[in-house]
Amino acid sequence: MPRLLIVEDDDRIRLSLRLALEDEGYVVRDVSTAEEGLAEHKSAPADLVLVDLMLPGMDGFDCIRSLRRLGDVPIVVVSARDDTHDVVAALEAGADDYVVKPVAVKELSARLRALRRRASGSGEDAPKVLRFGEIELRPEAGEVLLGDEQVHLTRTEFRLLCELADQSGRVLSRQQLLDRVWGYDVYGDERLVDVHMGRLRRKVERDPANPTHLVTVRGLGYKLAP
Amino acid sequence: MSRLGLRARITAVFALGALALSASLASATYQLTRQSLLEERERAAVRAAYLDAAFIRTGLGGEDPDISAALQNLDTGELRRPLVRRDGQFFARTADDGLTSSIPDALQRLVDGGTPAVQRVPLRDSSAIVVGVPLPAVEASYYEVSPLTELERTFAVLATVLGLVALVTTVAGASTGWLISRRVLRPLAQVADAAGTIASGDFTARVARDNDPDLDKLAVSFNRMVDEVSARSEADRRFAADVSHELRSPLQTLSAATSVLDRRRNELDDRTAAAVDLLTDEVARFETLVTDLLELAKSDRPAERRPTDVVALTRALLTSRGLPPEVLDLSGGSTALDVDPRRFEQVLANLVDNAAKHGGGAVRVGLEVEDDRLVLEVDDEGAGVPADERELVFDRFARGRAASMRGGSDGTGLGLALVAQHVLAHRGSVAVLDRPGGGARFRVELPGESP
Repeated sequence: MPRLLIVEDDDRIRLSLRLALEDEGYVVRDVSTAEEGLAEHKSAPADLVLVDLMLPGMDGFDCIRSLRRLGDVPIVVVSARDDTHDVVAALEAGADDYVVKPVAVKELSARLRALRRRASGSGEDAPKVLRFGEIELRPEAGEVLLGDEQVHLTRTEFRLLCELADQSGRVLSRQQLLDRVWGYDVYGDERLVDVHMGRLRRKVERDPANPTHLVTVRGLGYKLAP
Repeated sequence: MSRLGLRARITAVFALGALALSASLASATYQLTRQSLLEERERAAVRAAYLDAAFIRTGLGGEDPDISAALQNLDTGELRRPLVRRDGQFFARTADDGLTSSIPDALQRLVDGGTPAVQRVPLRDSSAIVVGVPLPAVEASYYEVSPLTELERTFAVLATVLGLVALVTTVAGASTGWLISRRVLRPLAQVADAAGTIASGDFTARVARDNDPDLDKLAVSFNRMVDEVSARSEADRRFAADVSHELRSPLQTLSAATSVLDRRRNELDDRTAAAVDLLTDEVARFETLVTDLLELAKSDRPAERRPTDVVALTRALLTSRGLPPEVLDLSGGSTALDVDPRRFEQVLANLVDNAAKHGGGAVRVGLEVEDDRLVLEVDDEGAGVPADERELVFDRFARGRAASMRGGSDGTGLGLALVAQHVLAHRGSVAVLDRPGGGARFRVELPGESP
């Protein structure tokens, strides 16, 4: 059963989310500060982390950055703040998804399932190695190389790259990418795609400001050019 | 008619002032100079004429005098031209070239009467001074014509020079006005810049203090006003954020807790299950209400337009609402236009949900681009909206009479108000029409990105 860590300072929200997500089949541990959350994750790594942004002491943004330094555990922000500024800052800090309170448990559960899903490009019939210029993608091994160097991608970044590679040369709209990577069946936040694309470019493009492989097609979306 | 700007007016006043001053000075200078030069010239002409007249009188003194010889012997220089009149006849050195006719009759009568006289007369292309001296001793009169050609030329040069000086002074006055007005208006320009910056949302803009006490007052009071507006805006923003947080947090607990109850609905007795159903429904409705209210509170924000695949978005939404794909009508062709995807999605969702609640469900969702406007139509086959309610349905907490008669109490009464607001943010329009064949048609028009 997937282990879920909840970092939330509001006792009532923490308890209600714990009860509801335990019903959804997660093994839940919950803490009320970022410091406790980091300690907990270090001692017993979780499979998924839910983080609130407004926390006493270390705030949610720093918590996300610290978690990101420890590994690529999927992080979902559950916050009452819906300012673009906060959304983008949290995603830039390394969060994989962002939901605004109040979020229905079904919806949250679907988000979490999508983040745990394996990359679709890594199915049985998928080729072992894909090359795009200097970028070498090994879907099955979950590895990406830029030249000879191994690049470390988060799970979400890796899936984003795999989805684009799966449809190599074809344009995928932000909506399609949201659907495939984040599992949004209705309209989702396109900022998720843009921020993650920016992070992915910084890792696999030689010149992230002028990408040669992860190309934006204005008005349509993104494509991976060989 | 548009009035001239303050700066242009100041410049014009300076220019006109300089022009009036320099023109009157130039004119006075010209008049005085002309007057004194003419008088001096007249005196010189009179003096010379008397001397010449004395010479002529001597020349005509003897018996049978030779007038021509006397005239020829006269030393008059190049310009003065002598004439002698005797026995009603003029004698000149050379053939008469209009000289005699230039001597006015009045002057002749005076001289004939024994009075010496002087007069300025016009000549063909200039003027001249005519001096008449009676010579009673020899029964003749002597006239001398001194053309003023030279002097006229001097006057012309003088007038030109003075005119140029006046022109230069006027231009200098205008420049001074322009420069001074810039100096004077600089604080106003700073205030205008600062106000523009503030209007675009940046409350950090301030006007620099000025050394001039009069201008400093403007800067200080402007800055104080900005401080107050900024503080109030910040307080409003913080209040809205606090309200948002304080409303969203307990709703999260309610939502998660009711889902725990709902999951165990089958284990509950009928009464408890009914209560849980009520709770679940009302929590869901309350969630929508709060989310819609908080969204409405952000009414002042402009639409964040970006290239959006509205067709894909619409298909996804219709699928999520369980509507068959045939409902989507794309007969209009192209739909490429920049809109705010979040707002567009809410417009569509609220119209489709409204059709489901009050019109028995959407039967057609039309999407097309007409004259650079994205047109969205949502049709239902319900009772339609009475003409007198068509404006009201977009008000907050307004629900259709038909709906209340049906006893329908779902919905928050904010859905269509949100639609109207999102449409307004795009500077578009929304209206309820009759659907051909019965029912209501909600028609939304969103103009493309304004230039």
